Amino acid sequence: MKILEYEAKKVLEESGIRIPGGVLIRSPDELAAHLPALPDKLVLKAQVDVGGRGKAGGVLMADKATAVKTAQDLFSREIKHIPVKEVLVEERLDITHEYYLSIAVDRSTQHALILFADAGGVEIEKAAKEDPDAIRRASLPLIMHDVPQFMVRDLLGKAPKELGPLINRLYHVFQKKDALLAEINPLVTTPGGVVAADAKLIVDDNALNRQGITVNRDLSDREREAERFGFSYVELEGTIGVIGNGAGLTMATLDLIEYYGGRAANFLDVGGGAEQERVMNAVRLVASVPSVKAIVVNLLGGITRCDEVAKGIISADVAQPVIVRLAGTNETEGRKLLSDKGYQMPDTMEQVVKAAVEMTR
Amino acid sequence: MIFGDKKTGVIVTGATGNQGAFHIALMNEYAKSVGGRGVVAGVTPGKAGQEVHGVPVYNSIRDALKEHDASASVLFVPAFAAGDSIMESASAGLSLVVAITEHIPVHDTMKAISYAKMNDCCVIGPNCPGLLSPGEVKLGIMPAQLFTRGHIGVISRSGTLTYEIVDELTRAGLGQSTVVGIGGDPVIGQTFTDVLTRFSEDRETKAVVIIGEVGGALEEEGAKSAEIPIVAYIAGISAPPEKRMGHAGAIIEGGEGDARSKIERLKAMGVPVAQRPSEVPRLIHNLI
Repeated sequence: MKILEYEAKKVLEESGIRIPGGVLIRSPDELAAHLPALPDKLVLKAQVDVGGRGKAGGVLMADKATAVKTAQDLFSREIKHIPVKEVLVEERLDITHEYYLSIAVDRSTQHALILFADAGGVEIEKAAKEDPDAIRRASLPLIMHDVPQFMVRDLLGKAPKELGPLINRLYHVFQKKDALLAEINPLVTTPGGVVAADAKLIVDDNALNRQGITVNRDLSDREREAERFGFSYVELEGTIGVIGNGAGLTMATLDLIEYYGGRAANFLDVGGGAEQERVMNAVRLVASVPSVKAIVVNLLGGITRCDEVAKGIISADVAQPVIVRLAGTNETEGRKLLSDKGYQMPDTMEQVVKAAVEMTR
Repeated sequence: MIFGDKKTGVIVTGATGNQGAFHIALMNEYAKSVGGRGVVAGVTPGKAGQEVHGVPVYNSIRDALKEHDASASVLFVPAFAAGDSIMESASAGLSLVVAITEHIPVHDTMKAISYAKMNDCCVIGPNCPGLLSPGEVKLGIMPAQLFTRGHIGVISRSGTLTYEIVDELTRAGLGQSTVVGIGGDPVIGQTFTDVLTRFSEDRETKAVVIIGEVGGALEEEGAKSAEIPIVAYIAGISAPPEKRMGHAGAIIEGGEGDARSKIERLKAMGVPVAQRPSEVPRLIHNLI
């Protein structure tokens, strides 16, 4: 789950990383009350989870006299379709240089990957493509408590030594917060010291519980409802509802729909051991999306009981046609239950998908 | 075959849970049908003295190894304790851990894999269906009825999609040497590269199918290192960016790891890529 900038900065501050002075406001009026304590030059930053926030108009400069008006402007905006509900008002820093620092989970080495670049504030993926040498990397097994000094020296290169301790502090944040990514971009030097001007933190969804996070904000309402049933669910924009078991098979079903010229309305992985009630809930959930004109059910597996699946589909009793591909235990019973009720049951996933695409064309 | 054979003795951790018990029965049914040793002991802390489908249960892997000869464990313990269980297996001297459990926090996995490596223990998974070498050994939850013995290796990040493609191979008369589910998490013990290295040294394997999906670049890294003919299928060409597609590792992040660019990179390396699962057997036939 993505942590908002102001929350991430709070975490950094607790770990001894300096952040700009500022306040979080939920309305322009709140800002008025804080103004006397704020410096003259300010920056207002919309707290929304989008990349390229600055370019999209989510970061505005202001001084004390214009701050409330600027806040009114920012609160009235939508940044990449997300309404602005919270704004971080900060001192404008006197920046001498911007750097980039991040720590991420690296799939290839199975370690933490630390990246440092002399040019911060930019989109690092782009910078990496243009000049791979501009970014220095270090790979650190997570069983290490601290970043070794030689690694810090290698990462910094000719950058000021005062940045060194920040690397270890960010590594501790990464460890403590079960982070997939902890990023400071830009990390800036000012006459008063080193400051994290921006911060990004992504917490592992599988560790939300032990991090004390009860609601995953990255999910839509329907996605959250699906999660309560134990489904993996992603909303898409097409007309064919999809229910599969297993992430790979469900994705492959979506891909086949596209291959035959249709568009999937969703991804729903019902999980293993799909019983009657689970299947019924899945079918109803998918059918509740207004754009869904037909539903494909593609279930294959050793432990999935086809008779249970069939009962689930029948008891869901939805308006849209449901086309079913079933393979597994008690297949014959399952097929009979469905064919008695007049359901279409092709043998392969290709036939199921083709039938659904034709139906929605 | 790779990773194990009929002689492999297996310990199941999380043996007394629903999943553990259910799959002890299925693994031993398979072992019996091929004349293998199968699951010789189960482990659940605090449950020593119980039996699960005739298999004795111990409090720890060390206790189990005092009474039984085993080299591999298959892990069904809950996510919060799974990292710990991987390390216990490695510490006790097992050479292979197959971690079935889903939803293990990724930091736990990273630490456990590092620790296992220091103890020369190989980890498959987590969040995987395990592996099956037809006629030899089943370590995990794959449905054995779809498999047949032969010379095609399969490596996959997924479960049911693997069964789909194995079924296509079997119907086309292409039996399998070993089918390995390496897991759907972002960090996994055995990668495509590791398993491809084993397949290239395995006399029974003539070609390998790699079944990948969106997220990361392990497929391309594997293909680059492969010293054996491979074909690929990549799921998720219709997956939107920044959305987790069921698997914790199946996510296009920062514009990286989408299916189209993966497929292009694989093709640039000369790897035939199937557009649909049903095309895999034809591509294999073209290759061998």
